[in-house]
Amino acid sequence: MRAEEREKKVAIKQENIQPSGAESLLNRKVIEERDTTYRIVSKNVSEYHFIVPFDLSEEERVEVGQIFSIKDQGLTFLARAVNIEHSSNYDGHWDTTMKGTQFFDSDQIFNRVSAEPLGCINRKLEFKKSRTLPTKFAPVARAEREEFRFLSQVMGDIEVGYLRNGSRLVEEIQVALHSEVMDHHMGVFATTGMGKSNFMKVFAASCMRLAARGQSKFGLLIVDPHGEYLKGKGPVKGLTHLKRYREGLACYSTNRQNASDPGVEELAISESEIFPEDIALLYEWSPPQRDALEAVSRIFDPASWLEEIKSPEGMVRMMQEGFKDSTVNVLVRRIKNELERNPYIRKRSSLANILANLQKGKVVLVDIPRMSDRSELFLLSVISRYILDEYKKDEKEGGESRKNCLITIEEAQRVLGSGSNISRFESIAREGRKFGVGLCAITQQPKLIDKQLLSQFNTLVVMGLGDRNDRRQLEESAKQDLTSMDIEIQTLEKGEAVVSTLNIPFPVPARIHRYEDYLRRLDKEDKQESLIARGGFKPFLD
Amino acid sequence: MDEDSRLSLIAELIRDHISLDGIDRYLAETGVQSCDFVPVEPRDFAGEIFAVDGSNASICGWSTANVNLIRAGYAVYRERDWKRTVITFDDAFLADPQLCQKMFDPYLEHFFGLKGIDFKESDLDRLSSYYRELHEYVAINDALSEAHAGDIILYDGSFDVFEPLRGVLAAIFDRAREKGIALLAVAKSSSIFWGEVVSLPFVQHTSMAGSRLLPGAAWYLSLKDKKVDAGQGRWNGQTYIVRFCGQSEHAFRVDAPSYLADDIGSVLEKLAAYSCSAECMGYPHALFRAHRDIRITEQEGAAACERLMAQLSEIGMTHSEIRLLMQDFHDILEMRPGI
Ligand SMILES: Nc1ncnc2c1ncn2[C@@H]1O[C@H](COP(=O)(O)OP(=O)(O)O)[C@@H](O)[C@H]1O
Ligand SMILES: [Mg+2]
Repeated sequence: MRAEEREKKVAIKQENIQPSGAESLLNRKVIEERDTTYRIVSKNVSEYHFIVPFDLSEEERVEVGQIFSIKDQGLTFLARAVNIEHSSNYDGHWDTTMKGTQFFDSDQIFNRVSAEPLGCINRKLEFKKSRTLPTKFAPVARAEREEFRFLSQVMGDIEVGYLRNGSRLVEEIQVALHSEVMDHHMGVFATTGMGKSNFMKVFAASCMRLAARGQSKFGLLIVDPHGEYLKGKGPVKGLTHLKRYREGLACYSTNRQNASDPGVEELAISESEIFPEDIALLYEWSPPQRDALEAVSRIFDPASWLEEIKSPEGMVRMMQEGFKDSTVNVLVRRIKNELERNPYIRKRSSLANILANLQKGKVVLVDIPRMSDRSELFLLSVISRYILDEYKKDEKEGGESRKNCLITIEEAQRVLGSGSNISRFESIAREGRKFGVGLCAITQQPKLIDKQLLSQFNTLVVMGLGDRNDRRQLEESAKQDLTSMDIEIQTLEKGEAVVSTLNIPFPVPARIHRYEDYLRRLDKEDKQESLIARGGFKPFLD
Repeated sequence: MDEDSRLSLIAELIRDHISLDGIDRYLAETGVQSCDFVPVEPRDFAGEIFAVDGSNASICGWSTANVNLIRAGYAVYRERDWKRTVITFDDAFLADPQLCQKMFDPYLEHFFGLKGIDFKESDLDRLSSYYRELHEYVAINDALSEAHAGDIILYDGSFDVFEPLRGVLAAIFDRAREKGIALLAVAKSSSIFWGEVVSLPFVQHTSMAGSRLLPGAAWYLSLKDKKVDAGQGRWNGQTYIVRFCGQSEHAFRVDAPSYLADDIGSVLEKLAAYSCSAECMGYPHALFRAHRDIRITEQEGAAACERLMAQLSEIGMTHSEIRLLMQDFHDILEMRPGI
C-alpha cells in the first residue's frame, strides 16, 4: 500500500470515529426503578439464587422449605428454598460500621434466597429432573396449586395429609402414599409429641377406607401397648370411632373390658406358638441360662416344650444334657411367671384369624394396654414370626388372593438398633419383601437404628426432629437426598412432615391431617362414595 | 538510623504540623472567626435533587493508542426516593492529539455555542480527563433542561476547572441562574491549604474547628477573604466548607456560582435534610447514588480490554503482536497473570 493511500484510509476511519450530526451527540439512557427482585440471578444447575426485598411483610416473608416456581419460556422450574441470607449491592462491612439506620435506597439491599432445584414441568405437564437451569433474570414466584397439579398425578391411594408450602397449606393437593411400595418398608420419625401416633391413625384410617371399599392391597398390623389406638383418650379419638369404615378394622385386646365391646375379640395365643427365642426376649439371661434356653428346642417337642419343661421329667432331661439344676430352675420359674402373668396364653389362638384378616387387607389392631416393654416385644415377636412363616409358606404354595402385609413396630430402635440381638425384625427388614411382608418402624431416635437397615426403607415420614444426630442418620441413609432439608426438618412443627417415598419425585412437604378432623371429613364426604362402592346407592336408575 | 526511628521522627513532625492543640493558631492564621461558622438546620424540600458524576477507566495506555472508557450522567431524587439515573455518555474514547479537536468541538458548539477548543502542548496527556469533564458538563446541561425552578443540581467535583473549558461553565451558570436552579459542586477531596510556613490541610482542620465550635451540628463557612490557597478561583463564584450532617465528622469543599451568594444558607439547609443516609452518612445521598450508578467497575474495564483485543485479532493482528503492544512492563515485574 502506498503511503498516500494508507493515509487516506486512516483519514476516513478518523472521520468515522468522530461524532457526526447533532442527534448523535447525546445518547441518553434512562434507568428507572424496576423490580429486580423475584428474579433468578445465579448460580448453577444444582443451586439457584434469587433475591427478594429485605423488608417483606409477615405474610410475604420467605421461609426455608417454601417451593418457588420459575417460569421460563415453556418450562416451569420448581425449587425449594434451603437458605436465606442478607445481601446488598454494597461491598465490605458497610452495615456494621454505619451510624444511621435510615436507608435511602432500599432497592440496593435485599435478601438472597438459595434454592434447591426439584425439577421442571414441561409443556406436556410432565415433571422431570432438570439438566439445565433457568435463564438469568427469569421471574420467580411462590408456587401455587397450578404448579403443583402434576403432583396429584404421582400421589398414591393412602391419603395422609395435604401438601404444604412453607407453613401454608395447599389443600387442593393431597399427599398420599402408595400401597404398592408398602412391602418396601416405611419409617415414621419424630421427637415425642410431634405427631407419630396421630400419623399412624390417619394412615390406618385411610387403609380402613381402602379395605372397606375392597380396594386394599395390604393388611396393616398395629400392636399398641399404650392403649391409644382402639378408643383414644378423652378428646383424642381412636380407630373404632371411624364407624363408616369399621368393617376394614379387626380388633383384638388383652383387656377384658375392651374385649367385651362388640367387634373386639379377646386376644389369645396358644402355648404351641411360643418359641424359646420369644421367651429369651423377656429377661436378661446369664450365658449358661442362655445356652439352656437355646438347647430347649433340640431337647423337647417344639409344640409342647412349655408343658414338658415344667414337668419333673423335663427337669431330668435338661440335667442329662448337662445343665445345672439351678439354671433350669430359673428357666422354669420365669416361664411359669410369664404364663401366669399373661392369661392370654391359652390353648386357643387368635393368630390364624389375625393372619386371615391381614391377608384380606384389613387393619388389624392388637390392643395390649399396660403391658410391659418386654412383654410387648415378646408378643410382637410371636405374632410376627407367625406371620412371616405363613407368608413364606404361602409364597411356596402360590397363594394368590392374599394381600401383602405391613407390621408396625413402635419404639423400633429397641429391635432394629445396631447393637440389637433380636434378629426376627431384622430378618423381616432384610427378606420380608420377598414374601410380601413389610415393616413400619416408628421411632423418636432414628440415630439408634442400624444404618444399613434404614437404607432399606423406601418410605420415610419425617416429622420434627430436634436432635442433629437423628437427622444426620436419616439424611445419610435416605434413598432421596434429604441433606438440603436439614433446616426444614429441624423446624417442622407438630403435624408437619416431609414425606419421601418411591413414585413421588422429590421429598414432599406435608401437613398430616389431625386424626379427629380427618374422621369428621371421612364421615361427611364419603357418604355417597361408599354407598356407590357397595352398590347400595344408585343416583340414577339404570 | 534505622527505619523505625526515622518513622518515629516523621510521625513527630507530622504531629507538630498537622495536629492542632486547640484552634487558636488556625483561627489566627486563616482569619477564620468562630462566628464565620454558620449553623445549618436541615429543612424538608419537595423539589428534585440531581447529582451529576462521571467516571473513566483506562483500557489501554500506549502513547500511540490511549483508550479510555468514559461514562457520565446523573441520578435524580425527590426526598429520599431515587427516581432515575440518566446516562448521557457511555463510550470508548481514543485520546489522539490529532483527533481531539474534532472530538471536543461538536459538543462545545452544539450544547454551549462555543467554537474551537484550544489545547496547549501540556494539556495533551490529560485529554481523557478533559473529555470526561466535558461530558460531565453535558450531563449538567441535560440535568438543567430537566430540572425546574427551585431544584438543586449537585456536581461531583469543583468549579475551579481546566482553563479551556471555563467558557462551558460560564454558559452553564447562566442557564442555571435563568432557570432559578441552584447549582453546586461538592468535592470529596480538595487541595485547599493554609499556614504561613507549611501548607496545612484546610478542609480537615476546618472540620475539626467546626466540631469544637458547633458540636453535633451541620454548618458552613465561606472562604471569602480568608487567608487560604484555594486555587486560581477565576470561575465567578464562592467556595465554602460544609458539614452536611451533624452526626458526621466529614466536611466538604462546596463551590457555588456567585448568583447563589445570598441563597447559599437555604440551599444547604435543604441538602442537609438528605445527607444522613445510613448508606453514606454525611454526604448528599444523591451524589452517593450517582457515583455508584455511573462508575465504571474494574470488571467492566477488563471486559472492554478483552473485547478490544478480540477485535484486534479479528482484523489480523497476531497474538504475540497484541501481547507485545498491550503488555506493560509493570505487569511483568509484578508477575500479573493474563495478557
Ligand atoms: N397433624 C396434626 N395436626 C394437629 N395436631 C396434631 C397433629 N399431629 C399430632 N397432633 C397433636 O399433637 C399431640 C401429640 O401427638 P402424638 O401423635 O401423640 O405424638 P407422638 O406420638 O409423636 O408422641 C396430640 O395432642 C395431637 O393432637
Ligand atoms: Mg405416640
